[in-house]
Amino acid sequence: MRKVVQCDRSPQPVAVAVGVTIVVAMATFSACQTPPRPPSDLIAKGKNLFFNETFKGNGRTCGTCHRAEANLSINPAFIATLPPNDPLFVAEFNPDLKKNFENPKLMRQFALILENLDGFEDLEKQFVMRGVPHVLSLRTSVNSPQGPRTGWSGDGAPGDGSLRSFATGAVIQHFPKTLNRVAGVDFRLPTAEELDALEAFQLSLGRQQDVTLPLPLKGIVPKRGQEIFLDNSLGKCNLCHSNAGATANLGGGNIGNANFNTGVETLPDQPADLTGELVPPDDGFGKPGDGTFNTPPLVEAADTGPFFHNNAIETIEGAVAFYDGESFNNSPAGHTLAAADPEGVGIELDGTQIVAIAAFLRVMNALENIRQSIELLEASAQKRFMERQQAKELLKRAITETGDSIRVLKGGGLHPQAVAHLKKAKELAEDAACSIFSRHRLTEQAIEEQKNARNELVESSPARS
Amino acid sequence: MLKVLMQIGVIVAGLGGMTYAHGQQMTEMFIPVGQSPGVSDKSSLIGTIDSMDEKNRTVTVSAQSGVQTVGLTNRTKIWLDRSLLKAPNQSGTSADLQKGRKIEVKLEQGERKQVAEWVKVQLTEPGAGPGAAAK
Repeated sequence: MRKVVQCDRSPQPVAVAVGVTIVVAMATFSACQTPPRPPSDLIAKGKNLFFNETFKGNGRTCGTCHRAEANLSINPAFIATLPPNDPLFVAEFNPDLKKNFENPKLMRQFALILENLDGFEDLEKQFVMRGVPHVLSLRTSVNSPQGPRTGWSGDGAPGDGSLRSFATGAVIQHFPKTLNRVAGVDFRLPTAEELDALEAFQLSLGRQQDVTLPLPLKGIVPKRGQEIFLDNSLGKCNLCHSNAGATANLGGGNIGNANFNTGVETLPDQPADLTGELVPPDDGFGKPGDGTFNTPPLVEAADTGPFFHNNAIETIEGAVAFYDGESFNNSPAGHTLAAADPEGVGIELDGTQIVAIAAFLRVMNALENIRQSIELLEASAQKRFMERQQAKELLKRAITETGDSIRVLKGGGLHPQAVAHLKKAKELAEDAACSIFSRHRLTEQAIEEQKNARNELVESSPARS
Repeated sequence: MLKVLMQIGVIVAGLGGMTYAHGQQMTEMFIPVGQSPGVSDKSSLIGTIDSMDEKNRTVTVSAQSGVQTVGLTNRTKIWLDRSLLKAPNQSGTSADLQKGRKIEVKLEQGERKQVAEWVKVQLTEPGAGPGAAAK
């Protein structure tokens, strides 16, 4: 379990630690004009609904699966820290939901959630098992010229298919008291005002705009990884993950978020399949499905695994290596890349190149975590003495983000000096959270350490300091 | 290189990059008449059934905006909204489109504007179920 502020014995849910993201993008991570933001009170209302509202259902909230303390997702290690009565495990203790609502074994082992994306007529056999995507940077990833794309296959919302409508579908799928799913009995549907607030909150999370690559990276391996990532004849990553985001630019301009069949479903030895549990094939978008899934952003990838819609791969290195494998290169997307390649090659990378791309993604993720940490620390430093509880919540969130930065860099053996600065920043933030009179000073020192860490990762410029 | 990339763009678009990102319909069946987010308050047709023409596969709806005839296809989903009876919603058939029942119709997008993508019929009579009229 991740370390949280040791002095905190208050019963405040960690969920409230998710701070409203402040739109002060650091120069490295901003190139475009920041889009207008909805009123802060609407975002605050949405945040409260997201983490606390059960909609008179089985006890779950949106935050049950999109955990504040787990990058708004869940993974097996995090799940292992939860008490048995956590609403995530409602299928284990609510007799009405014991069958055909979740598969507790796959949930605990692989963080897989049951979804009836192809209908509710045959609950025994007609379902798919999917991971929980984080909901960070949705403002940059949901839109496409064909309409909004929500969920793993881009068709997760009822109604008009928008992010605003997504919550209605989620309540019906994941919140019911019984599998009858009767509105007004097994749950209540969100009101129009609640949908507005939930949408505003979700759009406020994470990056508000895409990065502009290339970044002036310092590390030799991440720098080479960025080159390969951007090389449309080698890594080819940037074609579908433009600027390491979730939109595609295939040469004719940015086409927004797009769906592709990359062959993930054909991977051999998928962990869930190895259990012997029934895991029906996931046919992706539509009914019947066309085998396509939409493109997630990569900036946030390194600390939000496992990867792909079925949590098939645990590590970021493994996720990059997938594109060098047969499943991808024999897929419709892989064939397309090969058809357009002068030598007929889809994606062909060696081990060092795979690790280099992963190192680049790890550094990108750490930079985003540092950006968020600085925002949170600055917001905390602005809180007055009487607002110290709010300041502490912001500090706790910054501590979690900093822990993620350390983890993703250490996991790739990257930038030990930056890791040292981040550890110091984390200690200072923990001390600040416990301090009554030195909170401001300690927080300012933590911000400096964050900036020092950032300067180890990218060339510094006056605009960034 | 630009030519190659353009080629990729065209091919990939044909391979699924351009699938229409409409809302998935599976949870839609559990949403009562008049409550579909972004649809009921904007674009759907809500009224009462005037008549059902089985031969031509059309249903005529009397709505606030006037009387409108809508086509049904094999793709049109028909759902029975039994939420007022506190019973689970179900899939239905055109036999359930009985005169006087409240109905909501979502029309298909694009050129075929008079064709239903889905239809919800509100049932208020205890015991009413799928295909009740045909029994």
